[in-house]
Amino acid sequence: MSSSGWRRGALAAALLAAGASLAVVAARGPARPTTMPEQVRAVASTLRCPVCQDLSVADSPSRLAEQFRQQIAQELEAGETPDQIRQGFVRAYGEWILLAPPRRGINLVAWVAPILLLLGGLALAWTAVRRWTSVRAPGPRAVPSRSVGDLSASDRRLLERALAAASEEPE
Amino acid sequence: MEESQARHPSGMGPSPAYRRRRGRWIVAGSVMAAVAVLTSLLAFGLSRNPTVVQSVLVGRTAPDFTLPGLSSGQPVRLATLRGKVVVVNFWASWCADCRVEHPDLVAAWRRFQDQGVVFLGIPFEDSTQQAEAFQRTLGGGWPQLADPNSQTAVAFGVYGVPETFIIGRNGVVAYKQVGPIPYARLSDEVTRLLGSPAT
Amino acid sequence: MDRLGTFALMLALALAVYGLVASVAGVRQGRPLLVESARTTAFSLLGVVAAANGAMLAAILTNDFSIRYVAENSSRATPTFFKVLSLWSADEGSLLLWNLILAGYIAAVAFRFRKRKPETFPWAMAVMYAVSIFYLTLVLGPTRPFATLASVPSDGRGPLPLLQNHPLMAVHPPLLYLGFIGFTVPFAFAMSALITGNLSDRWIRITRRWTLVAWIFLAAGLTLGALWSYGVLGWGGYWAWDPVENVALLPWLMATAFLHSVVIQERRGMLKVWNLSLIVGTFALTTFGTFLTRGSILSSVHAFAQSLVGPLYLAFLVVVLAGGFGMIALQAWRLRSEGRFDSPLSRESAFLGNNLLLLAMTFVVLLGTIFPLIVEALTNRQVTVGGPYFKESIVPLFLLLLFLMAVGPLLSWRRSSADQLRRRVTLPAVVGGATMAAVAGAGVRDLAAVAGFGLAAFVAAANVLELGRGVRAYARANHLRVPAAVPAAVARNRRLYGGLVAHVGVAVAIVGITASSAFARQTEVTLSPGQVVTFAGYTLRYQGQHDVRQPQRRVLIAVVEVARDGKPLGQVHPSLNQYPGASDPIGTPSIKYGVLKDFYSSVIGFSSDGTQATFRFFLNPGVMWLWVGGAVIVLGGLLAAWPGRRRTVALEPPARRRELAVVS
Repeated sequence: MSSSGWRRGALAAALLAAGASLAVVAARGPARPTTMPEQVRAVASTLRCPVCQDLSVADSPSRLAEQFRQQIAQELEAGETPDQIRQGFVRAYGEWILLAPPRRGINLVAWVAPILLLLGGLALAWTAVRRWTSVRAPGPRAVPSRSVGDLSASDRRLLERALAAASEEPE
Repeated sequence: MEESQARHPSGMGPSPAYRRRRGRWIVAGSVMAAVAVLTSLLAFGLSRNPTVVQSVLVGRTAPDFTLPGLSSGQPVRLATLRGKVVVVNFWASWCADCRVEHPDLVAAWRRFQDQGVVFLGIPFEDSTQQAEAFQRTLGGGWPQLADPNSQTAVAFGVYGVPETFIIGRNGVVAYKQVGPIPYARLSDEVTRLLGSPAT
Repeated sequence: MDRLGTFALMLALALAVYGLVASVAGVRQGRPLLVESARTTAFSLLGVVAAANGAMLAAILTNDFSIRYVAENSSRATPTFFKVLSLWSADEGSLLLWNLILAGYIAAVAFRFRKRKPETFPWAMAVMYAVSIFYLTLVLGPTRPFATLASVPSDGRGPLPLLQNHPLMAVHPPLLYLGFIGFTVPFAFAMSALITGNLSDRWIRITRRWTLVAWIFLAAGLTLGALWSYGVLGWGGYWAWDPVENVALLPWLMATAFLHSVVIQERRGMLKVWNLSLIVGTFALTTFGTFLTRGSILSSVHAFAQSLVGPLYLAFLVVVLAGGFGMIALQAWRLRSEGRFDSPLSRESAFLGNNLLLLAMTFVVLLGTIFPLIVEALTNRQVTVGGPYFKESIVPLFLLLLFLMAVGPLLSWRRSSADQLRRRVTLPAVVGGATMAAVAGAGVRDLAAVAGFGLAAFVAAANVLELGRGVRAYARANHLRVPAAVPAAVARNRRLYGGLVAHVGVAVAIVGITASSAFARQTEVTLSPGQVVTFAGYTLRYQGQHDVRQPQRRVLIAVVEVARDGKPLGQVHPSLNQYPGASDPIGTPSIKYGVLKDFYSSVIGFSSDGTQATFRFFLNPGVMWLWVGGAVIVLGGLLAAWPGRRRTVALEPPARRRELAVVS
């Protein structure tokens, strides 16, 4: 079965390539901002521009955002860490100046909810699938699917007509 | 309409379908409960004004600043005013609401300046000429300080004008007003703070 | 004009009430003539609501400033094109348009079933009339477009500057409304099925195309909204996770899940309660959207703030939720699953996974949007939930969904053998893996970007190959050459091929989104005339500034010459528009669109003496792919929705469910 053999090989190679790429990139880590404008942008993109709706300080074209960015630049040059800079803004404006809620306290709910939901959904789906698998089908037994090439020409035509008619929308 | 068997064909208790039929009220009840929770949350949302933001500075020591006078260049430092009641008003010549509140500020200043209350005006995102022109035309008299890169405004958490901070004798921010401050509110707060101790 | 408009709306309300009463009475008392009269009322309703819209349009075009809406949203100086658009640029007017589109859908349903009315028709009409009554009550009560002013101003304020800057304002809201309101139809038929107890699959088959059409409109509206944000707002991005943007996305996500899971119900007789819940949920989300946008519960660039109708919208939402889900809870016991789940390696499980992921994404977006409210209600503190939260939470879910988008079409119904899957998936997997390796090798460091590109390639390859496979099989079976077989092969199974095309569209859009998120660069510079700056390989020279005065605004245009590698590429003209009513000017970006990258420029401000200008320059790779991808998604939807000839089946294949076989 050489044709299936090369397929297995190719598939394995593809999965390997994908896995290796992801591993390499994950190990390399995200690009750290190097130049000062990049560093300012990195901090500014985690702060909310107070005068515009839902834009970060990095994206906002408003004057106040410009002042924020200048202040961030000054504080970075003075040696403050991004977290310290953020805390400074929180002291002045409150927690809402952060563009995403910190992962503390009640805000954890928002961050954890997607994962919990996915797991919960999986569990629900699993129980539903088990219930369906135990339901007795009322009609004749299911016909196992075969590929189209296995049928004779007339059978194929018959099958295709039936399939096409079944998928037509009989409104 | 299909009817479910009340009893399982084997004769052993209610059929699964009948149990589901009874259980539907429980499910319906849970649905109503969930809807009620969502409704109360959204009703709460309606009851509050979405543009009002709480102030975190109230109850904390006001951030210190040293700013030059707008025209004179004479520096003023907030920390040196400890022991006095200080009213800090952020405003701008391009701001319509600042025009609205200005008479209230003037009236309050006239009333309280002899009692040692310090009024400070800080133009926000404004040009010196336009700020000076505003004060000249509308009348003022209390010191105006220059905050060219808005560093002080940012330290105070200012995101719009006008915003007014009333600082007590102990340097703690007692009250913050977002939007035009009415004369009554201003004088009530200042009077209260004048009566309280300086520590 | 205002009296005419108000009278038309009152008449419309009376007609809608009659339609509701006649439908219900007709079906309960078994009087088909009454039902028929309720049906034809839909046409008069449409005419009358159209007249009301026409009256408002006439008032705007004739500068009738006695009407408050006209005074607040139009002016003499506004160009005619934008005057027409101001019909829907604010709350009251857009509600008029909403009513018109709703009446249009009701009339379309009435027309569609003029000859043969399904059993669920009367109650469906009743539900639609009830929805119409709500929105008509709004425009006759708290949100009156024809309210007049005591003293007539000489000129109007004009539309908000942001809303008269660009012709896209013409199509973005109407398309969105056509999408939102379109879901009323399947919702009405689903409710009707629940009310009458006629819980066969008919309600799905009747409304399948309507749901798809609404989905297509919404997809187009969302894409154009992103294009408007990108090309008009000037901040360089296309989606800000604004609450109003989010609530427009929510029904689309749920409707996508619905479009997939109804296929399972039709083929296997499963997921009946689930599908009912999905369509009620989709309609409830559109209602929630109007509540959020118009009830001033959240501050947003879109929100029509300061409206006093919040409680009314909330009440309507509660009725929809309690009525819809309540009825499902009460009737669910009648619905039994008919099919079996044969194998985890089947298209059914891929669709289940699709639903799971899409619902998870819907929930994440919903939670993120109302989370600030929850926190404030419980702790009296204020937080912001913005872009970083949504991106971090949605991206992993979407990557998983992309995987399913590739593998799902390759799986067979009921059961796939591992061999069969391996045969089909190998080539796409090689394409995907090679892409990932190439991207990683090129030095990309963003994990999500590498995964995104690889999966997008995987999806595109899998779906294109599946397209080819289907056409080739048909060609072989009918002894045709492949090119000649394409139209017939596609026509046989439009829904499948439309879906494959839509998947390819998603892959293309993902490439655009990933490229622009991962590789965008920007800079901010202040230049004097004649000054040159280099950015991302471009050489930019600021030529100068000039003014253009138009009746409604003053435009300050900065001209910048763009060159790359010594070759001149033309000019860009970012501008600032100064409107008389606004304190801040509105910027208009100038973009050089390209297949691989966009050069995007906006001017943020001019110095007070006008000599210097502060610019923002962006290099946005791949954004064009997002618009093309959106267009392909719409095309796929159109292909799936395209009507075909009705046929009866001459043959009764053995393993066929009884309901599908006959055109009823």
